[in-house]
Amino acid sequence: MKVLVAVKRVIDYNVKVRVKPDNTGVDLANVKMAMNPFCEIAVEEAVRLKEKGIASEIVVVSIGPKASQEQIRTALALGADRGIHVETDEEVQSLEAAKLLKGVVEKEEPKMVIMGKQSIDTDNNQTGQMLAALMGWGQGTFASEVAVDGEKVNVTREVDGGLMTVGLKLPAVVTTDLRLNEPRYASLPNIMKAKKKPLESVAPADLGVEVAPRLSTLKVEAPKQREAGVKVEDVAELVDKLKNEAKVI
Amino acid sequence: MTPEQIVTELKALLDDGKVLDDPENLDHYGRDWTKMHAPKPVAVVFPRSTEQVQALVRFANEHRVALVPSGGRTGLSAGAVATNGEVVVAFDYMNQVLDFSPSDRTVHCQAGVITEQLQQFAEDNDLHYPVDFASAGSSQLGGNLSTNAGGIKVIRYGMSRDWVAGLTVVTGKGDVLHLNRDLEKNNTGYDLRHLFIGAEGTLGFITEATMKLTRQPDNLTVLVLGLNDLTNTMDVLQTFQKQIDLTAYEFFSHEAMQHVQTHGSVQAPFETEAPYYALLEFEAVSDQVMDDAMTLFEQCMENGWVMDGVISQSETQAHNLWQLRERISESIAPRTPYKNDISVIVSKVPEFLREIDDVVTHHYPDFEIIWFGHIGDGNLHLNILKPEDMSKDDFFGKCQQVNKWVFEIVERYGGSVSAEHGVGLIKKDYLTYTRPPEEIAYLRGIKQVFDPNGIMNPGKVFDLD
Repeated sequence: MKVLVAVKRVIDYNVKVRVKPDNTGVDLANVKMAMNPFCEIAVEEAVRLKEKGIASEIVVVSIGPKASQEQIRTALALGADRGIHVETDEEVQSLEAAKLLKGVVEKEEPKMVIMGKQSIDTDNNQTGQMLAALMGWGQGTFASEVAVDGEKVNVTREVDGGLMTVGLKLPAVVTTDLRLNEPRYASLPNIMKAKKKPLESVAPADLGVEVAPRLSTLKVEAPKQREAGVKVEDVAELVDKLKNEAKVI
Repeated sequence: MTPEQIVTELKALLDDGKVLDDPENLDHYGRDWTKMHAPKPVAVVFPRSTEQVQALVRFANEHRVALVPSGGRTGLSAGAVATNGEVVVAFDYMNQVLDFSPSDRTVHCQAGVITEQLQQFAEDNDLHYPVDFASAGSSQLGGNLSTNAGGIKVIRYGMSRDWVAGLTVVTGKGDVLHLNRDLEKNNTGYDLRHLFIGAEGTLGFITEATMKLTRQPDNLTVLVLGLNDLTNTMDVLQTFQKQIDLTAYEFFSHEAMQHVQTHGSVQAPFETEAPYYALLEFEAVSDQVMDDAMTLFEQCMENGWVMDGVISQSETQAHNLWQLRERISESIAPRTPYKNDISVIVSKVPEFLREIDDVVTHHYPDFEIIWFGHIGDGNLHLNILKPEDMSKDDFFGKCQQVNKWVFEIVERYGGSVSAEHGVGLIKKDYLTYTRPPEEIAYLRGIKQVFDPNGIMNPGKVFDLD
């Protein structure tokens, strides 16, 4: 079966994010970008399905500026077969992303879409669910295990207080949680091979979607700096401070 | 003076509570990471300023009490071990950054500033302190300088010595000297600053240092390559250095990586099993550099030097790949490793390595040998693991014999018996393999000038007679 994997280019997880001085957003100039960690897990899962002989072709799609092709190439090096780049310099919010993906899904007709449960830049956790709704497909979100069984897939989900397994009829949307798998590194020989794999570029208009943000960001602020602690002389002073200053006991 | 009198006098010199003499603290502050010597100091003192250190040294001269400096106690050569009724001078409370000059790109620190604290300070100010090693979270600047610490970025940034603009020291005579005045250019005779760096506190104590900072590295990218053979480490190094300025070049054996994987949950870089691995790091400042790296990798593959390889796609991956190398020491620690830290000039490394490997495996086929090191600057860490069924004494006894063979090879290759760990107590007996007697005589002469009473970290590096 054909599997579609969506990946997003985001600020590298390890980069210390800085807020722009005018509070309009996060400073992206000269900041290291990388594939969203949850998307890495999605790619890995697709590759494992292919290694097990379940997936026959992996198509990777990314929405964003020209540079997003780097992340598509990474996915190709990890084992995806071809890439689709939906190129736009506009800000793409969850619903537009879901609509664009719907356009790609209708064209490609995969049996399964695997994507990260959320991207670490906006933390919305919406696109997978919206895509499932727009397609009228089942959804298995926050997957920690994915088991394909013929025309069905059982997705084990990490929910508060335990695990829940849902059985979905294919085609379906699966979104990945952290513990689904441990993504491999892209090997250098595979990176070189990936350069020759097909990568098609399309515009949002080709998919019949107009990218226009529906939400506007009013203000972005850095978290408050923590104040330095104080040392107390004895237990009595500690209790006094907890009672009268912190008012917690 | 009796130990009690010494403690009473010290308490008068320093703030109350900054002199400790309970057994637990004497044991803790009386040693470093080496566990071969039983610590036996009389007191631990915590000065807060250069003036207090000066007062301590004057007191020590007057009463002929020996002083041992103590920083983060992460040393591996017993340079900060007090075994003989000394007073330990711990710099834990001299941990302030005193001044910062963005236009000079220098930062003036007390000796007890922790390496990581300095790195963080630099980063907070959009600059970079590039000396880095596994113990950076505990080691103190004063200790780094007294041992001229190296680490994982020497190939690009040099040793601790290269980052010192100025030093404040208290000499063994009790004089306070401000060396080099933080100047970039200062050709006015002997540069005493460099005598105190690497002196392991035997001439005096470093109390403050002005450190240089540099720009932050840009887009550090890590390659891990699986090598077919030991000699390929040099082939790969030379190939990459022709076109790319490497910020690190490390190597480790398959055995080392296996220990890291079993010890912690560190992922293997690739499925291919290689006998040796190389880790390269560079600044991928442009697509051109990345393309170059790929081309060089291809060359290495075509020449049969490299079996497989990965490249970090994010900082997280770069960090994780580094774990393969940085976690080696801690992963083999439970096996009571015998550590050697030797160096030769870079081109001789493979030949040298093979010779030592042959000697050790020939005489002790039961010993597991773990090789890793900063091979890009000719520095190798030879670790011999204790067989489970061998007693500690028996093992260390046999290692003394190994030492002799290893150091004879080091001598033959014109290498060093201690590349970056210093001499301390542990390497003292082997100093002659690297430095001839006439040279050591000059060292003694210098010691006499700065520390005529022999009270500063006595017995370290060399004996007085």
